[in-house]
Parts: sequence; C-alpha cells; structure tokens
Amino acid sequence: MSVIPGNLSPASRRSLWIGRVFQGFLWLSLAIGFVMLGALLVQVFKEGYKWVDAVLFFEPPSTDPLIAGAEPAILATIYLGILLLLFTVPLGVGTAIYLEEYANRERWYNRLLEVNIQNLAAVPSIVYGILGLAFLVRGIGLGRVLLAGAMILTLLVLPTVIIAAREAIRAVPGTIRDGAYALGATKWQVVWRQVLPAATPGIATGSILALSRGLGETAPLLLVGALTYVAFNPTVLGEFTALPVQIYQWIARPQEEFRTLAASAIIVLLGILLTLNAFAIWLRNRYERRW
Amino acid sequence: MSVKMTDVSVNLAEREQRLPPKEFREVVFDVKDLGVSYNGNPALQGVSLEVYRNFVTAFIGPSGCGKSTFIRCFNHMNDLIPGAKVEGKILYHGEDLYGAHVDPVEVRKRIGMVFQKPNPFPKSIYDNVAFGPRVLGMDDALDDRVEKALTQAALWDEVKGRLKASALSLSGGQQQRLCIARCLAVEPEVILMDEPASALDPIATTRIEDLMHELKREYTIVVVTHNMQQAARVADMTAFFSVTRAGEGERVGLLVEYDSTTKIFTQPSDKRTEDYVTGRFG
Amino acid sequence: MRLSFQEELDRLEAHLQEEADLVLRSLRGALKALETQDAELADEVIAFDDEVDDRYLAIGQGIEQLLARQTPVAIDLRLVLAVLHINLGLERCADLCVTISKLTKLSADLPQDEALLEAFEEMGSRAEEMTRVAMRSFAERDLAGAESLVVLDELIDRANRRVVERILDLGPNPELREWGLRMIVVSRCLERIGDHAVDIGEQTAYLVTGEFREFTDASRPDQHH
Repeated sequence: MSVIPGNLSPASRRSLWIGRVFQGFLWLSLAIGFVMLGALLVQVFKEGYKWVDAVLFFEPPSTDPLIAGAEPAILATIYLGILLLLFTVPLGVGTAIYLEEYANRERWYNRLLEVNIQNLAAVPSIVYGILGLAFLVRGIGLGRVLLAGAMILTLLVLPTVIIAAREAIRAVPGTIRDGAYALGATKWQVVWRQVLPAATPGIATGSILALSRGLGETAPLLLVGALTYVAFNPTVLGEFTALPVQIYQWIARPQEEFRTLAASAIIVLLGILLTLNAFAIWLRNRYERRW
Repeated sequence: MSVKMTDVSVNLAEREQRLPPKEFREVVFDVKDLGVSYNGNPALQGVSLEVYRNFVTAFIGPSGCGKSTFIRCFNHMNDLIPGAKVEGKILYHGEDLYGAHVDPVEVRKRIGMVFQKPNPFPKSIYDNVAFGPRVLGMDDALDDRVEKALTQAALWDEVKGRLKASALSLSGGQQQRLCIARCLAVEPEVILMDEPASALDPIATTRIEDLMHELKREYTIVVVTHNMQQAARVADMTAFFSVTRAGEGERVGLLVEYDSTTKIFTQPSDKRTEDYVTGRFG
Repeated sequence: MRLSFQEELDRLEAHLQEEADLVLRSLRGALKALETQDAELADEVIAFDDEVDDRYLAIGQGIEQLLARQTPVAIDLRLVLAVLHINLGLERCADLCVTISKLTKLSADLPQDEALLEAFEEMGSRAEEMTRVAMRSFAERDLAGAESLVVLDELIDRANRRVVERILDLGPNPELREWGLRMIVVSRCLERIGDHAVDIGEQTAYLVTGEFREFTDASRPDQHH
C-alpha cells in the first residue's frame, strides 16, 4: 500500500472499526462492574438508611430489634483498628527496611523470606483464623479476646503492609542515598533521615489500605472467638465482637427488622472503610513525589 | 605561587601555565597501581598518579574507560556497589585509604562528592545544606554554616530570601550549586566531581567552571568529565584514560597519560592521547 | 563569567604592549647610535634583541595555550590572531633595529653627510610615532587612529625616496659612496618599520570590523581611507 502524499484521511476503515469495537468492549467491562456494585449499594442504602441513628451507635444489641444497637461492635472495630495500626506499622516497616536496605539478596534465608511474604499475602483469611485459634487462643492460652483478634488481623494484613512499604522505600532514588552517604552519613542515618521520611507517604497510604482490608474481615475473627452476641462494651483482654460479625449475626436472625438493622450496620461499616480509603487516596495525592 | 624562571629543565608548558614546579606541590593523593574489579571482571588496572593540593585535576577519556570508577575510589563510594573490589593503594596524606582500620564515614567527611545529575534531598534548601553538619555533629552555629556554604557556592544571593522553600523548586544549575554547597558545609579538604555539569545548559556550566576556579584556592578538586574542552578550560593537571583489552578480551580501563593540561592539549606524549583530544579516537 | 579566561587574554595583550615598549627603546637606541656614531650603544641594541626574542617566544606560547585550552571564538579569536600577527611584526621591527645598529658599527670610520643624518632622525622619529600610534589604537580599539597611519606612512615613504635621491648625489668620494650605500639599507629599514606599524593598524581594523583588508594596495596606489 503506497503512501500518497497530501492524502491524510485514514488509510483503512477496517482498523478504525476494530478500534471502536475494542473501546466499546472496555466500556462494557467497566459498566458491568459498576452496575453490579451500584446495584448492591443502592439496595443496602434503600433498606438501611432509616435506621442509621443514635440507637445504632449507642445501644447494645438486643433481642428486640427496635432497641438494638451496634455500639459494642463499633467500639470493637475501632479498638481493632487502633491495635492493628500499632502492630502492623512497626513490624511491616521494619521488615521492609531490613529487606530493602540491609539484607544481602544472595543469602538463602533472605530469598526464602522474600518468597514467603509474597505467598502469605495470598493465603485465605480463614486459614489465619485457624492459626489464631490454634496458637493464640489455645496454644499460649490467650483466650478468645480482642487482643487475639487484633494479633491475627495483624498477621493477615502484614504482608500487604510489607509489600507497600517496600515499594515506597524502593521508590526513593538511589541518588538520594548516594548523596547522603557521600556527606559522611552512616547507614542508619541515611535510612532514618532520608529514606524513611521520603517513603512515609507511600507507607502511610499502604498501611491505611491494609487497615481497611483488615477491618472488613469476618472469618478469622469468628474463629478466634468473636462472639455473636455481646451486650457489653469490649475491653482489650475481654471477649468481643466486631462489626462484620455483628452484621453476620443479625442477618442470620429470622425477623425482617434484623435484616434492616444489618443493612444499616453495613452502611456504617462501609462508611468507615470508604472514609479510610478516601483518606489514603488524599494522602497519596497530596504527598506524591515526582522524582 | 612564584615560578622559578631560571630553571631551564622545567616543562615549558607548565611554565606557561604558571603551575608551581614539582618541589612546591603538596601531594594529597598518591595512587599506587590501583585496580578495580566488579564481580571478578576487571574495570580498571594499574593506575598510578599523584593529585596535588589546590589543583584542579581532571580525568578524561572515552566512555567505559573507568574514570568514574576511579574517582569513586577516593571516597569509598565503590563500597556501596556489591561485588566491587579495590586493589592497590591510595595514600591520602601518607595514609592508606583502604587500610584495615579505615572507616569510610571518616573518609567521606574529608573527601566530599558532587554527582552528575543534581540530587538535592526532597527537603528545604536550608535542610539540604544543614544535613551534613547535622549528621556529623557539627550543628553549632548552623545558620552561619549554611550561609557560608551557600556563599562559597555562589548561590546565597539567589536563595537567601527563601531558605525554607523546597530544594526541588530550583533550576538545574541552582540545584547543582546547592549540592556543592551541601558538600562544602561539612568543610572537606577535597571535592570530587563526577561530571558535574553534564546535565546542565551552557550558562550553568560556565558558572560551575568559574566556581571550580574560585574553590581551588581553598580546596583540592578532582573532576571527571567527558567534555574535554571543559578539562582544557578548568584543569591544572589532566589524566587521560583509555580502554584496552585484557587477557580474555574483556575491556579494561587504564591510565595513558598524566601531565599539565597545556601539555596534554598542545603536545601530548602519547599518540593515543593525541588521537583522543583531536577527536580522531575510535 | 570566565574570569580566568579574560585574565589570560588581558595578560597576553599586556605582554604584547610590553614587547612594543622594548621595540621602541631599541629603535631609540639605534637612532641615537647612528646619530652619534656610538659603537657601544649599537652593541647594546644588538644584545637587547635577545630580550625581545624572549618576549616573542613567550607570547607565542601564550597564544598556543590560549587557543588549545580556551577555544576562543568571535572577537576573542580575532584578538588572539591579531596578537599573533602583531607579535611577528614587532619581532621583525626589533631585527630591523639590529640591522641599523650593525650598519652603524660597520660605517663607524666612514665620512658622513649631515643632511642625511638629519633626515634619518626625522624618519626615525616618524617611525617611532607611527609605532606608538599603532599600539595605542590597538589598545583602544580605535579604528580611525589605525587608519590615520596610512597618511603617516606616506610621509616616511616620501622621505625614503628623497634620501635615495640625495645619496645618488653624494659625489665621487668612494668612502662617502660606501657610506651612502649602507645608509640606503638604513633608510629601507626605517621605511619597513613604518610598514609594520601600518600592518598593526590593519590588525586593529580586523579586530574591530572582522574584515581583513589592506589599507593600501600596491596595484591601486590612489586608494586611500
């Protein structure tokens, strides 16, 4: 097909149409996902928005749906969140720093560590639940307490935090490190004063996303002892329930009203998670570095 | 810097260049048969030369000749590259830089480095310059140190009103002068520059060259450059490196000629040097 | 910007002006030796040429170094090339002074003609003046001053022609005639010094305008500026 100078209209109509069909297919994929998600959300909201009120937030659950609230569950979810952050961030960032800055990639144990972290991120959450039951609740005798729930959720989300932290640390260019070393900084000073501060936005984003994942988990908490009926406010070393578990319990009840209650609790849970995610995205956009 | 006009044996080129004769020069680095290899593959071999105090010494040569590898030996930056091995000796004021008890951190306090692409830290201008003194425990009178360093780097007037602004808001040439100021703030004796102007436009380049001329009064400067006209303009002594094939045919760098800059650019002793500076190399 | 380069250029020019001062001293000495028949002074002038040669070599090396290391362009390049030419010219002027002194010594015992000696004093002064004007115009980049040298050179040329005529009329005395023959060369030397001064003026014009041209062309003698 020779090129005619001066004739700039498209050479072939066929490739044009293939392009259009492809684009249409992409839109369709997008639409399916959005429509299904949208339908779910709309249904939940329609059902539950009327009962998102003070009763829901400040009353304990009860057999009477009209006075039942989710205060213990909401409090427990908040406590779990705080503990999760306290545990995962130091552990995750520490591991990431070790792997990125100190570990010698040639050594077999470091390579083993690498492979394991990737694998752990893919393990189903119920397996973590079994692990928690066996080692934490029974093994060391912690019992079915909030702390055990927090610890097991930590293990669950830790690989994600490690991976996110590693990405953030890796994104810090080597030239920054070179510049710091060249001034006479020790390895510790380079990591603490240059690498970590520069990686903080990425680490924060990753941690918050991991946190929001952890707060939505139900299965491991069930196995570690989140009771389905808790009428008292939780303490760290006491028995507990969490919002996902509470929702699960309410759905299982026969009364229609409990389904509505569940829907409103779902709205609260979604609200918490979406806020966290939005915050993470805002953080990322605000502090994103263009190297 | 008096030149003994009656000494006939002194290199005529050196006389014209107004370099002090050899007896008056102080040796800062004495390199003896230095070699560097990466994971067993030799990159540089058999380099011997002396670097003099308050001189600008340039390393020139084609790419792959090992000049960047060589300059990184002076401040132990090759330690950061896994698999890098340094053989031979570099005597710094008589002490072996690669001796058993030498701490790279101590070395880098005295021998600073400026890199090819300006690499300011993602912090404020002030914090960039203050970083070195802070980590080295020199944080008394920090404001004065920062001002002095920025003045010496010919940047003070341009930034004195916005020290808290991000360093990344400066232009390329300004960023490089900031990196120089950062280096000067720890009061080194030697400043190593690895192609400091290759990422800059001509005007910024000229400012860096003028700066080198100023700084050599107080510091000793070693610069790697792939722009041989730059070496001709700024350097007192020039070392020409080239590549050769080693035993198994792999490329390895070596020092071909080391002399006063005027000699290298008017009457080089080695044909390879002449081929390179006249642009007939390769 | 490029302060060290500018310093080197300034230093080169300063050395050139120093060389010119030496040449003027040489000329004054040669003229005096001629006038007073002072053989010792003549010897001094001859020995003094070594100083000028030293300067000549040093400036030559300076030019070589400047070209190799600083790669001058535009006006800087023209300056360096102008210095190159003027350096050559000044060295030749010094050699011409040596020739005059050698001839002075050779004709020490010969009879002289007063009128001619006066004429030489006048020509010599004119040559001195032309050299001074040329070097000053160069230093100040004064195009008009450089072009004025042509007129002054014309005066020396006329004086030279008058000298030749006078020498032809010197009469039958063989010693006087021998003296006359030698003095023709002296006259020629002085005229050449004047020509070199014009050359310096042409270099000044080249430096300022970028155009290299001869002020007068032998094939077109009427062309004056």
